[in-house]
Amino acid sequence: MSCVVVIAAFGLVYLVRAVDRLDDISSTNASMNLDDREFGGGNSLVVDKRALYEARSLIPEDGRYRIAAGPGVDGATDLTEPYIDQYARYFLMPRRPDPSAEWILCYGCDRADLERPADVVWDNGAGISILRESG
Amino acid sequence: MTVRALVGLAVFNVFLLGIGIATLAALRGWRTWHDLVRIGGLAYLLGVALMGVTLSIELVVGIPFSFATIVLTGAALALAAVALRRPLARWRPELPDTRAQGVALVALAGAALVVVYLEALFRSARLSSLSAWDAWAFWVPKAKAIYFFGGLDEQFFRELANPSYPPLVPALEASAFHFMGSADVVTLHVQFWFFACGFAAAVAGLLAPRVSPYVLWPCIVLVLVTPRVVGRNLDPQADFLLDYFFALAALLVALWLVDREPWLLATASVFMAAAVMTKREGQLLVACVVVAGAVASWRRWRYAWPRLALVAGVAVAALVPWRIWFSSRDLTGDLPSAGALALFHNLDRGWPAFQSVVTTFFDYDLWLVVVPLVGVGVILAFLAGARTLPTYALTLYTLVLAGFVWVLWSFTELELPFVQDEGVNPIVRLSASLVVASAAILPLLLDAAWRGSQRAAEES
Repeated sequence: MSCVVVIAAFGLVYLVRAVDRLDDISSTNASMNLDDREFGGGNSLVVDKRALYEARSLIPEDGRYRIAAGPGVDGATDLTEPYIDQYARYFLMPRRPDPSAEWILCYGCDRADLERPADVVWDNGAGISILRESG
Repeated sequence: MTVRALVGLAVFNVFLLGIGIATLAALRGWRTWHDLVRIGGLAYLLGVALMGVTLSIELVVGIPFSFATIVLTGAALALAAVALRRPLARWRPELPDTRAQGVALVALAGAALVVVYLEALFRSARLSSLSAWDAWAFWVPKAKAIYFFGGLDEQFFRELANPSYPPLVPALEASAFHFMGSADVVTLHVQFWFFACGFAAAVAGLLAPRVSPYVLWPCIVLVLVTPRVVGRNLDPQADFLLDYFFALAALLVALWLVDREPWLLATASVFMAAAVMTKREGQLLVACVVVAGAVASWRRWRYAWPRLALVAGVAVAALVPWRIWFSSRDLTGDLPSAGALALFHNLDRGWPAFQSVVTTFFDYDLWLVVVPLVGVGVILAFLAGARTLPTYALTLYTLVLAGFVWVLWSFTELELPFVQDEGVNPIVRLSASLVVASAAILPLLLDAAWRGSQRAAEES
């Protein structure tokens, strides 16, 4: 009997805390704008959300792209360079990553290192651009 | 997030409930509408498990995945269950008329508290962003790949992390996308809210006829409000769904040990198959349930062990197509890189692994006092004269703890010293399995202690 009383006491106390916590989460979620909500975990590594939205609109759904990541992004976090390709793969699907794709999402890359010439289709002026090979 | 997506998701879950009801009609039946409502949660998760396993196998054999595939698969499962109703009639139990029992006021109060919790959980799910790392890194991308490309796309299923994880959760998520009309990763969280509701309802429905509501509802509430469950059970990844499947399989085997009704074991076999198809650790958990069931039934092993072996065989058989698929593509295996039995080459890892596992299970900030209470429940049940249930619970919890020690000990890619951070130590996530199962096992143990020798006599 005493065991059940202990369980019930813990249950009631932590039910109140759980509902409070869930209320806080609900409020936080509701206060997010659509971009933040859609990016979710990407908020910790994506520097300029416009770039991925532009990539979605420029690269056709059956198209292919590659990520060229480097250190030259203003405001990048420790997670940006190592994980931007993973996040782009999730965000840009059904577009496929392909090392030889003509579309290039340059995330702080050095354009001089690209093997073939590429046109700048979009540029945020802070190290992120979308390129399309022209050669 | 749109109303259309929410309505589509609701339709999908009613569809799953229908499949489960048809299946339970064949395996168990029901005597009254009250009885049907009571087993509704179990029926729903049975539908989830059946559809998940079937869609996974269809994906593996290359059947194109589309809205039509989902609907036809569900319809075929329901029709098959209807067709099996007559041949299975002699296996169905004699059901008592539960109308006369009514519903106790305390049960209504307990259910009301759970509803308050689930309502708050729904509000947090409704506009949740996809922030869990594993969810966006591979679980949801796999679901998107199935949704967009209509199958197990070779490129994505090779390149995404953990390629050997079975596709049950991605298949269910892709099905949800089809019913929502888009790959809406925000509304997808509501799907996991449905799973949580189904689990709470399933445990309550299975135990309500046998466990006092004074014992049952506090146990369910306690597990639902543990900090880790509150914080993580909506993440669109496999962990908590695996825990629900495992917990229900463990509960059904426990009930079968006492009641010996075939439908309990048949239903458990579906949840075991779903567990092994959800995550690789599902194999470990299912093995623990089967062995614990065997240990608890050793006095009538001629009756019990062949049946338990058959159930284990069903789970293994469900996994075979997936193993052939990923093995034939040379994808990374699901055993330790040093070999499953390489423990003695790494003796220095044994004690830290044990410490890490025990620390996690007794971590108040994760699980409150759930695991210690199960220990108390085992002792009280033994003291009251019960044998089968406390033996089963003690064996199950010990085996799972030992299994998790083995995981930490043998997967040498998990580097020493172990830290209690779920990003690098899987035990934090794995430990949810036993805690979630405690919502079902703890009430049984306390009930055995509560009723004392009367229940013990029924068991023996």
